Amino acid sequence: MSKQSGRCRHLPLAAVTAVALALAASGCAKTEDDASSQSGADAQAQQQVAQSPAGGAGATCTLRQFGGQKFDLKSAVVGFSQSEKEANPFRIAETKSIKDEAAKLGITKLRVTNAQSQFSKQIADVQQLIAQGARLLVIAPLNSDGWEPVLRQAAAKKIPIITVDRKINARPCGDYLTFIGSDFYQQGRRAADQMIKALGGKGKVAILLGAPGNNVTTDRTNGFKDRIKEKAPGIQISFEQTAEFTREKGQQVTEQLVQSNPDIDGIYAENDEMALGAVTALKGAGKQPGDIKIVSIDGTRGAVRAIVDGWLQAVIESNPRFGPLAFSTAQKFLEGHPIPEKVVIQDREYTKENAEDSLGLAY
Amino acid sequence: MAEAVAGRRPGLDRARVLAWAREYGVYVSVLALLLFNVVFTPNFVDPGNFRTQLVQVAPIVIVALGMALVIGTEGIDLSVGSVMALAASMVVLYLGYGPVPAVLVALAAGAATGAVGGALVAYVGVQPIVATLALLVGVRGLANVLVPQLKEISNPGLLALGSGSVAGVPYVVLIAAALTAVMAFVVRRTTFGRRIVAIGGNRTASELSGLPVKRLLLAVYVISGTLAAGAGVLATARLQAGDPTSLGLFMELSAITAVVIGGTPLSGGRIRVLGTVMGALLMQLLQATLIKHDLPQSWAQIVQAAIILAAVYAAGNRGAR
Repeated sequence: MSKQSGRCRHLPLAAVTAVALALAASGCAKTEDDASSQSGADAQAQQQVAQSPAGGAGATCTLRQFGGQKFDLKSAVVGFSQSEKEANPFRIAETKSIKDEAAKLGITKLRVTNAQSQFSKQIADVQQLIAQGARLLVIAPLNSDGWEPVLRQAAAKKIPIITVDRKINARPCGDYLTFIGSDFYQQGRRAADQMIKALGGKGKVAILLGAPGNNVTTDRTNGFKDRIKEKAPGIQISFEQTAEFTREKGQQVTEQLVQSNPDIDGIYAENDEMALGAVTALKGAGKQPGDIKIVSIDGTRGAVRAIVDGWLQAVIESNPRFGPLAFSTAQKFLEGHPIPEKVVIQDREYTKENAEDSLGLAY
Repeated sequence: MAEAVAGRRPGLDRARVLAWAREYGVYVSVLALLLFNVVFTPNFVDPGNFRTQLVQVAPIVIVALGMALVIGTEGIDLSVGSVMALAASMVVLYLGYGPVPAVLVALAAGAATGAVGGALVAYVGVQPIVATLALLVGVRGLANVLVPQLKEISNPGLLALGSGSVAGVPYVVLIAAALTAVMAFVVRRTTFGRRIVAIGGNRTASELSGLPVKRLLLAVYVISGTLAAGAGVLATARLQAGDPTSLGLFMELSAITAVVIGGTPLSGGRIRVLGTVMGALLMQLLQATLIKHDLPQSWAQIVQAAIILAAVYAAGNRGAR
């Protein structure tokens, strides 16, 4: 009994402390001056462009083939299911792009969910969106497989699904409508081209791999290796370790790397965060910009600025701004025009030649 | 009874071996792995390399020191990784006032989180694993809300903390070494240290003998939270960026592993400070060995599991006590 009363006495105390902590935390904060203010870059130029012709050859899909009904996007409920927390530049830009474009087009009933990297939550999120009466679904899938329950529900209501940045393993123009995204394998090949150029066709290269068991990692690795093999046999890949797409791991692995392989000439990082971690490690090891050539993929502002500073050689873009292309594709489809079953976007390339001028295009 | 007597001699030897392995196994393993690397890893014997290993292990050591205290009381602190993230976000939020205030606020946030966990454990009677699990989730969330995205840091004072050194020894390593020395002293030579061990050994007896058990428990969690925040500050200074999203992820597991293979039993009642440091070093060397030989790091996890099981086996066989 006395123990019980103890609980009642102290539990509110703990709760109050926790809340006070949270309030104090943000109360009188004062951050460092932010030099990287988001300059109002040309929104038109930042936009994604589909590869011509029409995102590559291939089948097309019309409203009649899909079997849906025409509706007005503006007054319809539109659902967007984001896969990961908006904590990295890619996801932040992706969600923002969808929201901004919807606002621009006057779509007032946009519902946005975030699965926080849990696939089961994403399935539940999308089912929730369907229950809320969504007529169009834009999904950034966490996984490619396991979508059957959702697809069945959507198909029963003839709800078109556009998947962005990652594919769903199912039938386009049926189970889902179309996929809009980058070609990760191609990104790897283009990164290899930049590395070959930076090294003059020979040398030793280390790869900082992305998170294991992820198709982005696999494709970016295979594309890079295949291209090196066919075009520059003089380049030897002498080290490949995962740094899990994070800056901290990029730094730690690179610190080990420069100790054990001091003869390394280049580092291929499968995303910008790992590349920037590598830069921190190289600075710590007393290297100068350009001593070790770094090429990475993404096109974040920090990485493009690092090209200007001389630490990175090139960055292959993976453009996250899906909003305009996703909604224009949907609009075209609803108007009865044929749309491609797969829209591959054109990704930019940032190099020493254009980095300074294109800083505004980075995200 | 007869059976016990008959089995006595070999049983005693086995117990002795296990007791020895429990005390010194981790030291021998670290030495063996060092020797392996000296012989088989190119460029291993190099001051720069040793510096790299020590710098990378320093935050884990600092967190594990606090964890060892908590585990010594038969508790556990799962919130340490999230506290590191909270410290990172505090540094980002308060760096405008300069590095010293920012670091102090970060440490205070760690102490406050520890106080919440400690209060729940000591005064409300919540199980440590439950109380600190709630904090693991909630504090990470709070850190993310405060600073939703990685933010780069350019304050020279804070960066110096991460990358500066005295006579070739990085500040980060010096701090970890100093804290280890203080912790070893506290555990072995102070009343506070002995009382903590006593609580872990037998809480009821400690209470009956008039020890201020609740206050001591609260203090232990506050220390753990403060140390974790300190580790978060150092990791942030080293990364030159505040990253509450991924900083300290799975740190609780690394710290618990270091403590357990260092010879501190999860059942409390004994704390091995140097063993804990060696446990952290063993994990670090293992990871470094795999990276330097370009082997998949997934192997490190499998080997770590084997080491943990071996440590638990050695610790579990102290029936002779």
